[in-house]
Amino acid sequence: MEIIVNLDVMMARRKIGSGELAERVGITPANLSILKTGKAKAIRFSTLMALCRELGCQPGDILEYRP
Amino acid sequence: MNWNKDKSILLTQIGTAFFTLLLLALDIACYWAVSWFVQLRGLDRGSVWYFTATVYACSVFAWPLLWSLWTLLAAIRRGEVFTAENVRRLRVVSWCCVGAALICLVSAFYYPSFLLITAAAGFMSLIVRVVKNVFQQALAMKDELDLTV
Repeated sequence: MEIIVNLDVMMARRKIGSGELAERVGITPANLSILKTGKAKAIRFSTLMALCRELGCQPGDILEYRP
Repeated sequence: MNWNKDKSILLTQIGTAFFTLLLLALDIACYWAVSWFVQLRGLDRGSVWYFTATVYACSVFAWPLLWSLWTLLAAIRRGEVFTAENVRRLRVVSWCCVGAALICLVSAFYYPSFLLITAAAGFMSLIVRVVKNVFQQALAMKDELDLTV
């Protein structure tokens, strides 16, 4: 039972790099890496909102619940 | 860096250094200090050896306690506050207080006033333990905060 972060999939679909996305979202590349690798323990609504805005997607496209 | 915070840590370090020197002096001049105390209180001359044993036994716990305090303060000065190592240092301080309290409890058989020191050391151990628990909780919260994006 876990939450899977599909950020790398969405980034590949939108053809956007980590550095560019981090800059547009306003977080450090290191934090984006934590999020991408699934090491993050929590994500702020403001970060999720910025990611959805920049990737043109819904939160459900980035986060997935696997029972 | 905060001027007041730095001065406060420095003051605590000076206090720790003062107690370290005091302990060193007591360890070196233990026999004379104890002899003077026994004479002052009008106690049996033979109890000098009991007092000396108590002082040296407590010293075994006092040295790691002071070292832990010193390294803890140095770590705080470096900005490393909520770390697993600091929690371990506080645990050492707490158990050293317990050790000293137990020695004083045994020593109360020949000099009942040691019961007061037993109570003080036991209470000190409790306070340090609470601080250690707070540090442990803060460390867990910091870990979670560090991984919040």
